[in-house]
Amino acid sequence: MQRKKIDLSPYLLISPALIIFLAVVFLPALNAILMSFQSYDLRRPSKIGFIGLDNYIAIFNDPLFWQSLWKTFLWVIFGVGFQFILGFVLALILNKKFFGRGAVRSVSLIPWVTPGVLIGLMWRWIYDGNYGVLNDIFLKFGIIQEKIPFLAQQTTAFPSVVVTIIWQGIPFFALMILAGLQGIPTELYDAADVDGANGFQKLFRITIPMLKNTIYVSTLLRIIWVANSVDVIFNMTAGGPAYSTQTLSVYVFNKGNALNLGYASTMSIMLTLILLAVAILYLKNIFSSEEE
Amino acid sequence: MKKGRFRLTKIFSIYLPLIIFLLFLLFPFYWTFVTSIKPERELYNSTITYWPNNISFESYKRLFTSFNFLKPMTNSLLVATSTTIISLTVSLLAAYAFSRYKFKGKKYLMGIFLTNNMFPRVLLLIPLYAIMRNIGILYTPFALMLSYTTFTIPFSIWLLSGYLRDLPISLEEAAMIDGATRAQAFVKIVLPVLAPCIVATGAYVFMTSWNEYVFAVMFTNEASRTIPVALKNLIGQLGVEWGMLTAGGIITIIPVCIMFFFAQKRLTEGLTAGAVKG
Amino acid sequence: MKKITLIFCVVFAVTLFMSSTGFSQNEPVTITHWYWADNPEYSATMQEIVKEFNATNDKNITVVAEEYPWDGGAYSETLFRVVMGGGGPDTSSFKLTSTPLFTANNLLANLDSFIENWEDKDEIEESLYDTMRLASGTDNIYLMPWNTQVLYVYYRPSMFDETGVSVPQTYSEFLEACEKLTRDTDGDGSIDVYGFGMRGSTGGHEPWGSFIWARGGNFSDFTTEEVVAGMQDFIDLFENGHAPPTATMDGFQEIIANFKSGKTAMTIHHIGSSPGMIETFGDDVNAFPFPKGVDQWTSMGDTENVMLESCGNKDAAFEWLAYLATGKGQEKWCTVTGNVPVSKTVQQLPVFQNNRFMKVSIEAAPSAGIFPVLDSTTEWISTIWPNTIAAALLGKTTASEAMQQLQKGLYVE
Repeated sequence: MQRKKIDLSPYLLISPALIIFLAVVFLPALNAILMSFQSYDLRRPSKIGFIGLDNYIAIFNDPLFWQSLWKTFLWVIFGVGFQFILGFVLALILNKKFFGRGAVRSVSLIPWVTPGVLIGLMWRWIYDGNYGVLNDIFLKFGIIQEKIPFLAQQTTAFPSVVVTIIWQGIPFFALMILAGLQGIPTELYDAADVDGANGFQKLFRITIPMLKNTIYVSTLLRIIWVANSVDVIFNMTAGGPAYSTQTLSVYVFNKGNALNLGYASTMSIMLTLILLAVAILYLKNIFSSEEE
Repeated sequence: MKKGRFRLTKIFSIYLPLIIFLLFLLFPFYWTFVTSIKPERELYNSTITYWPNNISFESYKRLFTSFNFLKPMTNSLLVATSTTIISLTVSLLAAYAFSRYKFKGKKYLMGIFLTNNMFPRVLLLIPLYAIMRNIGILYTPFALMLSYTTFTIPFSIWLLSGYLRDLPISLEEAAMIDGATRAQAFVKIVLPVLAPCIVATGAYVFMTSWNEYVFAVMFTNEASRTIPVALKNLIGQLGVEWGMLTAGGIITIIPVCIMFFFAQKRLTEGLTAGAVKG
Repeated sequence: MKKITLIFCVVFAVTLFMSSTGFSQNEPVTITHWYWADNPEYSATMQEIVKEFNATNDKNITVVAEEYPWDGGAYSETLFRVVMGGGGPDTSSFKLTSTPLFTANNLLANLDSFIENWEDKDEIEESLYDTMRLASGTDNIYLMPWNTQVLYVYYRPSMFDETGVSVPQTYSEFLEACEKLTRDTDGDGSIDVYGFGMRGSTGGHEPWGSFIWARGGNFSDFTTEEVVAGMQDFIDLFENGHAPPTATMDGFQEIIANFKSGKTAMTIHHIGSSPGMIETFGDDVNAFPFPKGVDQWTSMGDTENVMLESCGNKDAAFEWLAYLATGKGQEKWCTVTGNVPVSKTVQQLPVFQNNRFMKVSIEAAPSAGIFPVLDSTTEWISTIWPNTIAAALLGKTTASEAMQQLQKGLYVE
């Protein structure tokens, strides 16, 4: 009875999504993989041709590639890490009852609603070494004595762009986790109250385990998203000064804009492989819980 | 006595952290607004003013008269809304399949959807443009809808299936034992409980398509242009039109916040509604 | 009733007459033109020019002009991708540096024969045509000149008076002036005015080039002693605090803002920013050509228009390009934007003759040149130059190391 025939319904349910995906990005993506084995620089169309693994070898010898990879790592760890922690805390607060909750919830989304074009520009303006409001505030509170050119120094530029991406991503996690919180039956908390559990115990024994999949999925998706995000850095520093804010995706974007598509493809394939490795670790967790 | 303590904990556990959060999240927004009503001369002053000495709403006026900002706004709204509806419908079906069925190739299919989001768009631009042109939807809203859905669908499938996995399966099973079909159980039981998650995912899709620039600049022309492209037009070689740019930013933020204000009610209604019916 | 019939007859007769005499002999043609606008006023001006052209041309040509974002120069890449994808406009505004990318892929129409048969051909200086040929690396012209800008040094006469600095005649005087003009005006121990508004971000290679030449270097080889010496001067200005500490990331926006707010006493840009300067300072702003050291050089900025090879009606498209280069379009555009006209007749107009910044532009013009236009140039300008220079300014690399990187980045095997 169990294995009478293959149930086609899951395939049918997935097919619309798969068709859109295959119809639009499959071929271009495949093409990009092929480009990584070619000298594919549109500035030199006469030299386009297969060159085997030359691009891959060139990348391994490119110090900028390794530096950008390291920056990507830091970018994701600090960016997503703080987005998640702060977003989680915000979600817990927004889930409580208080006056004006609806309004607070919707204004908390503002960083996320702000057009990307504006985010980079506004933050650059806030960080500005001469007219920036952040310098003014720090001076007024006596935190600094002299104005800091935040984006113009190697030491401060990277932390500055990370703060911006944290700012931008908090609403995402807050919203996703807030939505997940609604699925937790309140009886569980009532029972815990009867047992005399405190807030932290409830958080670690009920809330987090019950949100396991939501947390897994939203952090995984966010890691991928942040690792690939270009616009914030590009609009703030374009990767400078002296490549100090150049993540791998910004490097790919710069090379892609320079139309050296072979080199750009190779780098993005490396990035994809690394992300895939991260994803597999995640997937193992998700699918292992399903086997139970 | 007890009430007093209760209030104090509420201040420390809710209001105080909330104020810190809002300061951080909203200050740039406030600063954008202040910039939009400051005359340009005051922007580059050595003493920074936290509220403009001279307020001018000129930029807002110019935005709608000489710049015709209403057009990109309606275009963006059209594209973002349709993308949201399409993505949610298609992804809900797929997410349901991924979380409630066991079938061959499931892991691989999910994996494929995931890699889609890993690939940088800058490499797909030329072939995608050619595809859009060949099927004749270039410079229509469909070009953007199609390209956005390919990126938002995989994301939404993952998000929704994550939520579905966290939802207790017992509710549907109970309904199906009572004689409901799978589809009935899905519509009557799962959908109401999932409402908050659908709202959250929908918000994600909406924002993504609302803010996208790289595709938009290539797949639209003057008539079908969306907000990010229109705003980018204000940054020329000879500097930034601060007034109009920030005014444009404020104008785009407000309607979305109002929309979400109404949608967010769903965020708390989900389970209660489902639980009553269940 | 009779009246109506009469009117109808007249209209009919006129139509018949016009069509028989060839008034509307030309099939209606539509030309799509792309451009970017540096501010809303430019955008409106372009639309007016188009309107005028459509109303006045006698060949039944309708130009539809579509604005695309400048996007820090990514305009060119957007255009390129669209044309590679099989679409795109008939004509477009263009930058010299993008020429190799487009010609290597055969995307631009060769304008040689059009220009040869063009009555206004001599309206444009032969040397400009030569620059266009140089950019393509062939004997062919693919770009129609439109307007140019010559970089020069803006300064604040009042600040010169306060510090007793006179307009520098030589390169070393210029460097001295940078030092003298750097001051703590309110006596609080921190610098309030910097001598030189340095541009270390994208686009900064143009003013930087003047330092290289002043020391006797040039762009064919960045590793020479002279180039390194010029670079060292640049670094010294920054390290000695004669330029704002934000210089590594300062682009156009910042150098102009710093100058306008009185944070810097001198900065380098072209006439395009002069209307804003006059608005801020009135008479307290003036300019001089970047002075001569061993040699003298300044950057010639440029904007051209091109016709895409895919254009279906090249004759009509050329009419439009010509209108922009020497016709009413030229006059109107240059009057509003303040750019240097390419048409000799338009140059002679009093508006241009009486402008003090135009005078400096023309004075500096003989020393104006361009960077080598190679297929690597755009990437070199947008990423390699700013990052390499920033590393040197911040003391991460030496002047000669930086120059070796610049050499490698521009002259790719």
